[in-house]
Formats: sequence, structure tokens, C-alpha cells
Amino acid sequence: MNRLALLLCSFVCVAGTAVRVEAARIDVDHERLSRSLSQLETDAKLGSYAASEIARAQAALLALSENGKGRKRDHLLYMAERRVDIAWATAQLHDFEKQDAELQREHNRLQLAAARHEAEQARRELDQQRLLNQIRAEEAQRQAEEARILGEEETAAVREEADQAQRLADAQARETALARREAELSGAAADALRLRLNPMSATRGAKGMQMTLDDLAFAPGQADLRADASASLAKVVEFVRRDPGKQIRIEGHTDSTGSADVNQVLSQKRAYAVLDALQAAGIDASRITAIGVGSEQPVASNESAQGRAQNRRVDIILLEKQ
Amino acid sequence: MTPSGMKIHASILVLSAVLLAACGPTRPPSDVLGNAQLNLASARSSGAATFAPLELRFAEERLEQAQVALQDRNYALATSLAEESEANSELAAIKARLGKLRESVDRVRQKNADIQRMLDASARDPGGDR
Repeated sequence: MNRLALLLCSFVCVAGTAVRVEAARIDVDHERLSRSLSQLETDAKLGSYAASEIARAQAALLALSENGKGRKRDHLLYMAERRVDIAWATAQLHDFEKQDAELQREHNRLQLAAARHEAEQARRELDQQRLLNQIRAEEAQRQAEEARILGEEETAAVREEADQAQRLADAQARETALARREAELSGAAADALRLRLNPMSATRGAKGMQMTLDDLAFAPGQADLRADASASLAKVVEFVRRDPGKQIRIEGHTDSTGSADVNQVLSQKRAYAVLDALQAAGIDASRITAIGVGSEQPVASNESAQGRAQNRRVDIILLEKQ
Repeated sequence: MTPSGMKIHASILVLSAVLLAACGPTRPPSDVLGNAQLNLASARSSGAATFAPLELRFAEERLEQAQVALQDRNYALATSLAEESEANSELAAIKARLGKLRESVDRVRQKNADIQRMLDASARDPGGDR
């Protein structure tokens, strides 16, 4: 009995040594992979990006250290290597996604700055024109006044001349008044359009029922929703709530002025602003897709100011199920 | 429980494990290559041929070898190869997305620099006529 125990003991010892030798051999690869993995895990930038892939790689490493003997070893080692590679690549992917998003935000910011700059320049030109008109009209009036005074003192022929100058001055003054009125009118048109925002109703479009927010819901040239667009937005929220089963597609559109790039980005940014607003109102984000179409799908002619205003819009569409 | 009782339980466990292991590979698994084929298709459609040709080739080779092993009724080998093919396809797809994203990042960065330059130029020359 004693000898049997001794024999058993020595057998166990030999077997143990063999396992330890095997384990020591595996350790080289295992060590290399787990070092690479912990390097990824502790990486200040990448470490947080691929937690689930890191966990899968760790599981593969565990499988390698527990079962990686004999014939299975090659396969388990290969799998562990690949899973570590995948974890690294996934972390890098997420890092790039973050960079991409940041650059995209920066891009939008720059596009808006460019659009604002253009608008600013246009406004300055208009102001200059208006000032010039005013100066011209005052000058004409002054000349007419002088002519009339002269006319009273001098002959009828001279008076006739003065009358002519007066008529010319009147015509010029009328022209100026007309220009001023035009400028006022465009302001009035903007106000009328803003009013039009409120009686919003759903219409049937090619892709399903839709509602349209026009560009006065936004600050000019910008993608932020104006505070006074909240009534329109509430209508949109109510509209999309009516059909909770349908996917929501948000399309931003612009008119054809400006570069295609600026338009694309502005329309996209506006579509996203509406998406954010809907989400903030409690609409499930997984229902919503938002895209910028730019100026490619006008609903009215881009020749007139009115048509352009109609083309600057955001459509909110409840997609028909296919 | 007595120590001898524990030993008996342990040996039953070991025996059943051995039996299971012996039975396992002889039974043809239902769909050994399905996932590997799916992963390979999705890697191809995500542009792996351009961005991760090496990983894509590994995935294809291992899938072919798995098919051969399956014909030889070597199910254990077929399963291992299919798994390796899957992992390669997965890696190829991620690298393809990474490659595309890298291009997009470069493109946007370039555009941003262009706009910035334009804005800087007009800031230096305000009210320039157009």
C-alpha cells in the first residue's frame, strides 16, 4: 500500500513537471499577446474605445492558457492573435470616428462662418446703395430749391428750367422712395413668412406624410432653431407622435445661392438641429434619420426671393412602410 | 460526503467529459460555414479588397480549407478553420471601415483648411469687391 502511494506520488510529480514545461512554452506567446492587450487597455486615448473587444480578446487569451495544449494550441493561439488585432483595430476605428465627428463639427462651424461672412458683405453693399440714393435725392432737392429761388427772380424761361429740375428731383425722390419701400417690403415679406410658420399642416409627399419647417425657424445663415419656432416644433412633435410605428426622415434643403458645399452642410446641420429638438422632446432617436440634401430638391423656382425662401426648408417625413 | 464518495463523483464527471469530447466531433455540426460565409460577404461589401487585402485573402483561404475539411468529414478541423476565417473577415471589415474613415478625415481636414484660408484672406482684406 505504501509503495503504491509512492508510485502514484512520483507519477503525479512527473506529470506536473511536464505540464509546467508546456505552460512555460506557451507563456511566450501568451505573454506577448497579453502585454499588447494591456498596453491597449491602459492607453490614455484608445483604452476606453473598445471595451467589449478587449474583453473578447481577454477571453480568447484565457482559452489559450487553459486549453492551449496539444493540437488545439495552434488554433487557440491564432484566434487570440486575431482577437487582439481586432481589439486594436476597433479602438483605432472609434478614435477615427471621434476625430471625424470633431472635424465635421469644425467644418460646419467654418461653413457657417463663411456663410455669415457672405451675408454680412451683401448687407453692407445694400446699405451703401441706400445711402447713395439718399444723398442723390437730397442733392436733387437742393438744386431744385435753388432753381426755384432763381426762377422767381429771373425770367419765365429760367422758371421753366427750374420746373424741369424740380420734376427731375421729384422723379428721383420717387425712385428713392420706391427703393426704400422695396426694402421695407422685403422685411414685411419675411414677417408674413414667419406668420406662415404657425398654421402648419401635414401634407402627403412622395415618401409619406410630411411637415415642413421653413427657414425662418432658423436664424439667417445658421443652423440653430430660433426660440420663436417652438410652436412650429411642437406641431412637428405632435405630428410624429401620431404615428409612433413609422420611421422619421428629416431632410434639410437650401436654395441654390452659394456653393454646393456650404448648402449641403447648412442643410445637414439644420436637419440635425431638428433631430436634436425632436429627441429632446422625447422622440426615440432610433426612429429618426437626418440628412442634408442641399439645393438639389427645390419646391419652387430659385429665380425669385419668394421661391428661394420656400426652398430653404426642413421637411419632416413619416416614411411609409415598404 | 466522504472523500471516497467525492472521488467517485469526480471520476464520473471525468468519464462523461471524455465521452462527450469523443462524441462531439463525429456528429456533423449543422452549419459550420454559415457564419464564416456571412462574415466574408460583409467584409467584401465593406471594401476590404481595397483596404485590407491580406486579411481578406486569409479569410478566403481558411474558408476554402474548411470546405475541404468538411468534405473529408473532419468536423473539428472545419470548425476551427471556419472560426479563423470569421475572425479574419471581421478584422478585414474593421480595417476597411478604418481606411475609408481615414480618407474622409483627410478630406474634411483639407476642406477645413481651405475655408479657414479663405476666411483669413477676407479678414485681411475686408469689403473686397466681388
